Amino acid sequence: GSSGSWWFHTLQVRRLRVQRGRRHSDPLGGTNSEDQRPSLQFGAAQSYLSLEKLGEGTYASVYKGISRINGQLVALKVIQIKTEEGVPFTAIREASLLKGLKHANIVLLHDIIHTRDSLTFVFEYVQTDLSQYMTQHPGGLHSQNVRIFMFQLLRGLCYIHSRRILHRDLKPQNLLISYLGELKLADFGLARSKSIPSQTFSSEVVTLWYRPPDVLLGSTEYSTALDMWGAGCIFIEMLQGWPAFPGVSDVFEQLQKIWTVLGVPSEDCWPGVSLLPNYKREWFHQSEPKQFRTVWKRLNQLPYKTEDLIQRMLKVVPTDRISAQDSLQHPYFSTLPLPVMHLRDTASIFKVPGVRLETEVRDIFNPQRKVRPSLLPNTKCW
Amino acid sequence: MKNPGAAQSHRLVGLLEGALLREARLWKVPVFKNGCIQGADISSSQHKEMILWLGETSRLFQFCPETFALGVCVLNRLLSTVKAQPKYLRCIAFTSLVLAAKINEEDEVIGSVKDLVVRSGCNFSTAEILRMERIILDKLHWDLYTATPVDFIHIFHALLVSDHPHLIPSIGLSSGVGDDSATDLGTLSTEPGHQKRPPGFQAALWTRQVQHCMACHQLWQFKGSTLALAIITLELEVLMADWFSVFTDLLKKVQVDSAEFIHCKEIVDEYLHSLEFSLPANAIYIFDSAQIQEEEEERVWSPRLHLRQHKRGRRGDGEQSDSDEYYDGFRRLYNEEMTAGAEGSAMEGVFDSQQKDISPCPPLHPALN
Repeated sequence: GSSGSWWFHTLQVRRLRVQRGRRHSDPLGGTNSEDQRPSLQFGAAQSYLSLEKLGEGTYASVYKGISRINGQLVALKVIQIKTEEGVPFTAIREASLLKGLKHANIVLLHDIIHTRDSLTFVFEYVQTDLSQYMTQHPGGLHSQNVRIFMFQLLRGLCYIHSRRILHRDLKPQNLLISYLGELKLADFGLARSKSIPSQTFSSEVVTLWYRPPDVLLGSTEYSTALDMWGAGCIFIEMLQGWPAFPGVSDVFEQLQKIWTVLGVPSEDCWPGVSLLPNYKREWFHQSEPKQFRTVWKRLNQLPYKTEDLIQRMLKVVPTDRISAQDSLQHPYFSTLPLPVMHLRDTASIFKVPGVRLETEVRDIFNPQRKVRPSLLPNTKCW
Repeated sequence: MKNPGAAQSHRLVGLLEGALLREARLWKVPVFKNGCIQGADISSSQHKEMILWLGETSRLFQFCPETFALGVCVLNRLLSTVKAQPKYLRCIAFTSLVLAAKINEEDEVIGSVKDLVVRSGCNFSTAEILRMERIILDKLHWDLYTATPVDFIHIFHALLVSDHPHLIPSIGLSSGVGDDSATDLGTLSTEPGHQKRPPGFQAALWTRQVQHCMACHQLWQFKGSTLALAIITLELEVLMADWFSVFTDLLKKVQVDSAEFIHCKEIVDEYLHSLEFSLPANAIYIFDSAQIQEEEEERVWSPRLHLRQHKRGRRGDGEQSDSDEYYDGFRRLYNEEMTAGAEGSAMEGVFDSQQKDISPCPPLHPALN
């Protein structure tokens, strides 16, 4: 909550200490004081208790833990250090980028414990993530909650994009959700600061379902529009209750899914598209663009501006995609109280009176709860 | 609809402010006293040699200029934070570059640490590098992502292009900072009357200059933002008559102390000038014609060298004839006649992918290594 961020600021002025075993071999020698109090310090492993395992990622395991310094719940991301390669680049990027990011919609890095064989990042503890939240509330989320989540997602993206940082791995699992409904971007392991001249990026970055067509086609000149496509896919998924372009085996099937809805791009609308590595000429005779509401039926029940914003995010041509900054100004968000547009970076949207999550219509943990059929998303009319 | 130019400019100013804040928070260089880094036995020439070596190593690994610049920032911050012994200097420098690469480069570019050590020709053990990595991360609190002089070059360049579109014929197109509007600006260049130049060309040139300056111990005492502004101002003076208004505009945005700036600019001018004539007298180089095509972009140096030389020629008449001869030689090396007719489109790809390889030298290699 809000007290957490204040706590963090005071934490920052304290010197990070790491216990070092073999002092005599320190080549930089002479700068350490000798007081090795066993007391609880930031940067020390004994300052945190591990409670339960929350998950396993590609390069780390995440545990729920508690800080013995101040009793706060934390998430401990334990990263194995490969003896040959040292600290993984994902960890270095994540930590060095997060060090400079202070925003209500970006997960907070409290502490780093670095020993010879392992590395632990201590994050603020956030109760759940969007993937779990959607599993708990199947069949599409409450439209007001979707708006609140989308606003926070775009606010976080606007913040990092203005610093030339791309997330590059947006997916529901990486969007943490607090009990209040605060959404926080997490897992910056694949993020990097986009160095300013357009560089060549690795195309093996985004999880396939949330990967934009330009990257699928093999373009490596991508930019902030990459994250905007992912955000658009997540938008649909929250409304529909299932992924926008789900689960297929390879890049070509994934592209096929996209063409089915958006149509195959032509040289006219996207000069150079046919030169991209994964472009196939036989696509040309295929599908025309469809209206989103005929594909994703929930849109039929919502005001037109919802579909309009999604259309601006899910543009095939990357340069046509709306920016995070512009999307926050879209009429879709005009029903939120005006002060949400003028928040300090570190202030949560829930500080604004009138912003709160609605109770979701379906809840698998409370199946008994009586719900009037008229409230279910599929039958509800706006 | 908002004016896209204004929105672009606004975004760039925001970017600049962010970079200045990061620089203010993290910029730190060692203090020199009696020719040595204060508190350590590392001399300024050892330090300079190390940065030059880092530049060569970075190019060898095909890292981008940003990675080299970040590596140097990490090295300087560490040297100003701890007392380092000279015998560890190379290991510290190398590890700084590895860390910068882990932040900046794609993993397939980085390669394994062991491989990098072998290619660098050093005889560190992997364990040494990894131990040093831990020390650097701990000493710098994992806070490595700073704004480098190269970042400022690109931001200033984009600001110039965005705020002064009439400069596009002289300084080229956006370097990619404003990705969204870069295409808008891109279409401008195809209008008749605009001299075509490859996008990013001027920025790449300035990047190269700033890389040189980072090895000069009088110059890395200045912040990256000041250094970048000095380099760009020197160029603007040459390129345009009304440079002063453009310059004051930038100066206001950076809020650099003007006395410090003037001092920095003088040193940059001297230093870059000294480099232009610093081909070692006794070095033997073999002209490698096989490389001339793949490194075609290197000739972007010649127009600038040319302009600067003319300016200087006017100052000192004695140099005039010598320098003409000198530049005739250069022109032939760079095959300039061909350049004049070259179309931007054919060269764009070359520049996008290879701008990091721009060197003030034509493709030469030493006779013996």
